Amino acid sequence: MIEVLHPGIYSSIQDLGRLGQQSLGVPIGGVMDQNAFYWANRLLNNPKHSAVLEMSFKGPKLLFHQPTTIALAGANMDAQLNGLKIANLIPVEIKEKDLLEFGNANFGKRTYMAVKGGIHTHEILKSRSQYKGITTYATLSKTKLIPFNMVKFLPPKGARLSLKKTNSKEEVIVVYRGPDFDLLPEKAKKQLEKNTFSISINNSRMAYVLEEKVEHQISYKWTAPVLPGTVQCTPDGTLIILMRDAQTTGGYPRILQVSDEGLNILGQKSTNECFQFQLSAV
Amino acid sequence: MTHPKIVILEWKNEPDDKTLHQLIEFQKTILKEFEEVIQITQGYCSLMLFHKNNVQNIEDYKTKLHHLYTSQSMKYPKKGELWQIPVCYEEDYAPDLKTLANDLNLNPDTLVAKHVSARYQVCFIGFLPGFLYLSGLSKVLECRRKERPIPNVPQGSVAIGGRQTGIYPMDSPGGWHIIGKTPYPFFEPLNKKPCFAKAGDSVQFTSISKSEYLQLEGHRHNGTLKIKPL
Repeated sequence: MIEVLHPGIYSSIQDLGRLGQQSLGVPIGGVMDQNAFYWANRLLNNPKHSAVLEMSFKGPKLLFHQPTTIALAGANMDAQLNGLKIANLIPVEIKEKDLLEFGNANFGKRTYMAVKGGIHTHEILKSRSQYKGITTYATLSKTKLIPFNMVKFLPPKGARLSLKKTNSKEEVIVVYRGPDFDLLPEKAKKQLEKNTFSISINNSRMAYVLEEKVEHQISYKWTAPVLPGTVQCTPDGTLIILMRDAQTTGGYPRILQVSDEGLNILGQKSTNECFQFQLSAV
Repeated sequence: MTHPKIVILEWKNEPDDKTLHQLIEFQKTILKEFEEVIQITQGYCSLMLFHKNNVQNIEDYKTKLHHLYTSQSMKYPKKGELWQIPVCYEEDYAPDLKTLANDLNLNPDTLVAKHVSARYQVCFIGFLPGFLYLSGLSKVLECRRKERPIPNVPQGSVAIGGRQTGIYPMDSPGGWHIIGKTPYPFFEPLNKKPCFAKAGDSVQFTSISKSEYLQLEGHRHNGTLKIKPL
């Protein structure tokens, strides 16, 4: 068990979510940055879908009740194990009663902590991803104890990842044309391709509302399916990028669809950060 | 192309009973015939197909889908289940009933009578887990949504907004007018069937008193409240 002494600003248990349950209106959910999730699990030789802890903006304070091995990936949160700095992208051995504290996120906004064997909360609708109304608690703020698998295997010896490039500085988001893209006037299409966009304070695991608007006159649409990465355009031209916890259907025109890689990059961004859309040739 | 793993199918007609049946039947056919498709999400007149891998040759795939659509035996599907949903329309559970009735130039009893007299079709589930998109709202009950959504609509609230009526399956922000409340749960994630209703089913509301509501709510807390189709 891991005891949560302080939950941090926004931490939750996540895996790859619930693709396949959308006819019940269940969001797909899952980690915001799938790359960092994958690296953290890979360093420990965990099964691909193992649940991890996703920590946003400022991380939690955790007390380990049993020994294990962990690996961190994603943003740098100045993690300290019993007061000593530990690095991302390398397996770290944990002893009983070890205290792990995180600070503010740098070089990205979300940090992932994988635990050897995976976090082992109850699977509900084939996933451990926390979501209001599906799991007992939606975030770590009320979760007191995090169970993990006690497995006896050693992580690969000397495993270490060094990434030449981190995504946190990336400012180009590759997108595809959405099903309603062609209904936009030429001016709006140009704005989408040329302008720089920034994330407003209204951003969460569900959606990022952007500061800049585009002009259009597309009228009301019948409610239609959406997915994480769908860019909606409201009647007044506000752009909303749906993120991992997005609802399954929506009533606004769907003008763009963010690529998988673009969605991972956006997952590491937050309020006031800027980017440009790049329309994929496909 | 929207996304290399996504294909969207759109019906050009208005969303009516016939379109709904076509959408439901074709979903079943695709899921049976195409292993590559791992999830289909439905809207009023479109289907979104999620594929395991990137769709390689979209033109070939279009032809295949078209062939599948035209060759499926278009038997008129059997009617879905009919669910009767008890709703308490009394003041304590219906904060917006009076003002909405006033806006619509109806008396509150007439509004309720109109709401319970219709049979609504479940078009699909979306927005929230267990939120049914229902069609069949009486024209006289159509109304503008609230100017500002309220932050916390209680679970079970029955509401009207635009051309639609619906039940909030969990506490959530919402901009529809709340005219009643049902004690029945619409989403139970631990159940084998988390939501009793499915696309193609029908729903009817029946008016219950506050004491009946409280009694049913008591059964719900004991875990003995089970809804059965008519």
